[in-house]
Amino acid sequence: MKNSKSETNQKRIVEFSPEGKDPFEKARHKGSRRWIFSHLFYKSNKFLIAIVLFTTILTSNLWSITSILIGNAINDFVLGKTSSLIYYTVFILLLNVGSPFLRMLSFALREILAHRMERDCRSEFYTNLLGKSQSFHEQIQIGELMALATNDVRMLNFLISPAMSLIFESFTALIIPLFYIIIFYPVQLLLAPLVFAVLFIISLKFYVKNLTPISFQLRGFFAGMNTTLNETLTGIEVVKATVQEAGELEKYVLNASGYRDAFIKQGHVQAKYWPFLILALTITFGLTHGIILNFTIGFSIGYIIGYTALLRQLGFPTQISIFVFATVRVAITSAQRLLNLMNRETEIDENIKGISKSINGGIKFEDVSFTYPGSDKPVLSNINLELKPGQTVAIVGTTGSGKTTLTKLISRLYDVDKGKILVDNVDIRDYALKSLRSQISYIEQDVFLFSDSVFNNISFGRTSSEEEIIQVAKEAQAHEFICDLPDQYKSEVGERGVQLSGGERQRIAIARAFLSDPRILILDDSTSAIDSNTEDKIQRAIRNILKDRTTLLITHRLSQIRWADLIIVLKKGEIAAMGTHDDLLSISPEYQKIFVKKFDVDVEKLIKQDEGF
Amino acid sequence: MWVGLESEEYDRMYKDRVLVKRIIQYFGPYKRPMSFVVFLLTLSSLASSFTPFLTTLVLNNLETNRNISYLVLVIGLVFSLNVFGWVFNYFRRRKISRIIGDVVLDLRSDSTKAVLMHDLSFFDRNPIGKIVSRVNTDSSDIGQVVELSLDLVSSFFIVIFLLIVMALMNLMLFFVTLITFPLFFIVAFAYRKIARERALLGQRALASVNAYVKESFSGIQIAKTFRKETKLYETFNEVNNISYKVNLRRGFTFSIVWPALSMIQGLVLTLIIFLGGASVLNGSISIGDLNLFLSGLNFLFFPLISIASFWPVFQTGMAASERIFALIDTIPLVIQNDTIKPPKLNGEIEFKDVTFRYEASKEIFQNFNLRIDSGESLAIVGHTGAGKSSLAKLIARFYEFQEGDILVDGISIRDYDLNEYRRQVGIIPQTPFLWSDTLENNIKYCCKSATDEAVINALDSSSGSDWVEDLSDGLKTYTGERGSLLSMGQRQLVVFARVILENPSILILDEATASVDPFTETKIQDALQKTIEGRTSIIIAHRLWTVRHVDRIIVMDHGKIVEEGNHDELMAKGGTYAELYNTYFRHQSLEYIEKMKEIVQNKT
Repeated sequence: MKNSKSETNQKRIVEFSPEGKDPFEKARHKGSRRWIFSHLFYKSNKFLIAIVLFTTILTSNLWSITSILIGNAINDFVLGKTSSLIYYTVFILLLNVGSPFLRMLSFALREILAHRMERDCRSEFYTNLLGKSQSFHEQIQIGELMALATNDVRMLNFLISPAMSLIFESFTALIIPLFYIIIFYPVQLLLAPLVFAVLFIISLKFYVKNLTPISFQLRGFFAGMNTTLNETLTGIEVVKATVQEAGELEKYVLNASGYRDAFIKQGHVQAKYWPFLILALTITFGLTHGIILNFTIGFSIGYIIGYTALLRQLGFPTQISIFVFATVRVAITSAQRLLNLMNRETEIDENIKGISKSINGGIKFEDVSFTYPGSDKPVLSNINLELKPGQTVAIVGTTGSGKTTLTKLISRLYDVDKGKILVDNVDIRDYALKSLRSQISYIEQDVFLFSDSVFNNISFGRTSSEEEIIQVAKEAQAHEFICDLPDQYKSEVGERGVQLSGGERQRIAIARAFLSDPRILILDDSTSAIDSNTEDKIQRAIRNILKDRTTLLITHRLSQIRWADLIIVLKKGEIAAMGTHDDLLSISPEYQKIFVKKFDVDVEKLIKQDEGF
Repeated sequence: MWVGLESEEYDRMYKDRVLVKRIIQYFGPYKRPMSFVVFLLTLSSLASSFTPFLTTLVLNNLETNRNISYLVLVIGLVFSLNVFGWVFNYFRRRKISRIIGDVVLDLRSDSTKAVLMHDLSFFDRNPIGKIVSRVNTDSSDIGQVVELSLDLVSSFFIVIFLLIVMALMNLMLFFVTLITFPLFFIVAFAYRKIARERALLGQRALASVNAYVKESFSGIQIAKTFRKETKLYETFNEVNNISYKVNLRRGFTFSIVWPALSMIQGLVLTLIIFLGGASVLNGSISIGDLNLFLSGLNFLFFPLISIASFWPVFQTGMAASERIFALIDTIPLVIQNDTIKPPKLNGEIEFKDVTFRYEASKEIFQNFNLRIDSGESLAIVGHTGAGKSSLAKLIARFYEFQEGDILVDGISIRDYDLNEYRRQVGIIPQTPFLWSDTLENNIKYCCKSATDEAVINALDSSSGSDWVEDLSDGLKTYTGERGSLLSMGQRQLVVFARVILENPSILILDEATASVDPFTETKIQDALQKTIEGRTSIIIAHRLWTVRHVDRIIVMDHGKIVEEGNHDELMAKGGTYAELYNTYFRHQSLEYIEKMKEIVQNKT
């Protein structure tokens, strides 16, 4: 939000953009082809492309010249011109050594183009993701993002090199020889290559058309094999315990057989690659044509050899076309996938001009209903609720009852469909998003730590004062276990460092929240402590953090529920019961059951016990 | 720290010769189609190699006696060879793709079968991701190698034929052509080493990018709350740029080899023009012959370039076949002495002097003895590593014990038919596992033919079916990968229903430690109570409620039973159990909850 003060008054909302203007913004909305080209011709790339095209055309010319020269040389040899031997040798040597150098240059340049494409697209994709809202990230699987950022982006690299470069190269190899035929040989010799070109393009079209659906099938079955086997092995204990090995094998073989069938179909289509036959016939036809001309107009043998050598250059497009168009198609699909994701709009408006003020933390829900986009079943309906500043509210209910959604609406990760939510009696949509969110903290159920030191994971750039960090860690009951780590506050944590338990990670998150000191705190406290000592610490940490703040607790801890100022029982998106522990014991049989069943006591005893405190 | 380019070790165990033999064995069942393929291959190679030879004849005739009918005949022959060559190839490719498809399928189902036969210690040693990629990807690689080898054999035929013709025509030019080979291989081998290194570095750089993307978006919520986007963005660009540089270098290396090889071709071509031209001038060879050498050069280079560019594919193919054969060859550790098909078991279990270890030197049990009566419910408590779950896993026969014996109804479990025995043992693991299927299919996973009624009954007699009705599609609700669309608690309820439907004589329950919302928790208690009724139940207990409700508790420490009795007896005793209570169960008691307010306020 901080960096997105776009002067241009664009409608698009981003939460982060590093260098102001995004050069590919427009092209992204004009389809995958336009987008690819805008990357291709980005800045100094144009210059490189010009050189690549020029050298490719030049090399193709050199090849053709070599063929012509060989023909002429043979003619001269036949005529017995001894003097020409050295001349031709030197020329052919120069051409044959020179053109590989040119090719190296053009290959190297196209590699640069291709890898720039990969780098820039990936960077654009990543930046774009950083700018997306939290609700976007919650709907998307990280595995999918990883696949897009590596595999799909890499496909765009392959699109440039080899695919597009080869297509251009073979296109020139198809065209350039024609000019040389026109210049050096009778025009009627164009017949063979022209007929070839027409037939080649037609049969290629059919080939690609037939192959595409099969390659999709292959990929589908391969994915199926991976998923089934992975699932079977993950659940191997269940498979063995219930003696289902045979059934699981069958499931796998079903996919593997599907793959086999698609593989065979693919082989059949590849076997029927007509261009190979067309090429062979074209060359033989060209030879025949040359011989006929030899008889009719004295077309010399040397020319025939030169001409057939030119025709053999058509072999290049013939061979590479087997695979190159498939690569293009895959790359375009990849580009499409990337764009689909990048072009998704965020629905929440920043409201920069909205109210910015520090809040007290009173929250009011007025007749709030909410349905997730794309679903027709409401998650919350007609919620009416009032929380006073500083109150601790426990929300209980089964999964799917709407607990998490209710808390997400407060920080506007989603906007309500009906009714309104007020904070300090002002509709939350009237606040500037930044002002609202910066005063609400969210401690999620499964706390994520970055691969960084404990210190940085707590401070997050807010402070560099060691005393302050130790102070908040102590309040969060985290100081003790941090001191037991090998490098204390300097210890690396996260995926590549020390593995912390759920309870420990939660306390680091609490320390983090202490540092940011929000008015409203949402705590999804579903971490389990399996020993009483840890439980004591977690309890204390939570008690400390919720002091003087409005706190919404989604909790499984009976003790937290027992002592909350207000307990809300949610059921299927509606408030089933609301009140204090004692209220609920007497009005809600479901709530009663939790305590009665768990502790084998009767209600009277429970209520009586309360009176003692 | 994000750009670790460290290497991974890999050891070869099989000789190449052995591997090739094993691969050929897999083609054994397809001998006849395979020999047909080889036959077609020879024919199509001959057709291709005859073309340049016939062209030479045509040109020579054109230069000398210009016999039109001869020319027409030979050219007609070339045309028909073109057509036949293509047709032979067409049939060959059709056949071979069928054979390879079948062989790959055989490899896949054999290896999957082998994997499923192993006991659980195999899965402790081998990560699932690696097994899956061995079965699926490595088998594909083998197929690819076979296909490429056949293509190469075909090119090889053509080259040999042409070389013979060349040698017969002109020895000098023949030797000039031969120079190609040493030159070519020097370049190719020098290049191979560099290319491999660069490719490896390139892959690792990309893996770093992947890891960083994962990291940043796993923590995106925190990054957003604390406005850390700029730092993420900068680190990402660093990682991305390193990948760019490393991979560009790799790209350069790969793009240089082709022009370098074609330069060799150019040099040889020049030599042939010079020497061949001189020979034509002094009349020692004909133009047609010279043309054969000129155009033959292309035929020589094609297979050579294939070998050079597909060499890595061969290497991965060999490595792949080694991995997959290693997988198939690993011997399952399960010991089976007899195959008694048990009737409905009573569920009386006895451990007799059992000794068990996962690894040599680290004993879990030594001369362990325990008797569990038929229908008894037994809770096992103790610290981590006390041997609680090992005990359960031995009864389930997930692992093999080394000494002593385990008797069920007086007969050693190694004498029972493994599958029939397991059918009578129900297991509820600590983390419930669901298949990505409907809830209904998950419940009747063990008994596919169960009726809807039986499923509902199973639910009713565990946790009640009202919670299922609250789900969007009731019993038809899709549970997601590993059950991720249901909550932890709901997944446990499904597993309880599954076990009730299975109706085992012995129940092994590893109680979940994950926390569950209080409403579902009460349902789990209901389900537990009803599931353990009437069967021998062994529960690794984490819940206070459970230990208070079982017939007997055993307290374990370092593979030994240190205390036995029920909750009240053991608490009164004030021994190890009372200590454990203070560590694991105290915070689950009503007293703790009621005192919570005080505890917190007094101590901070």
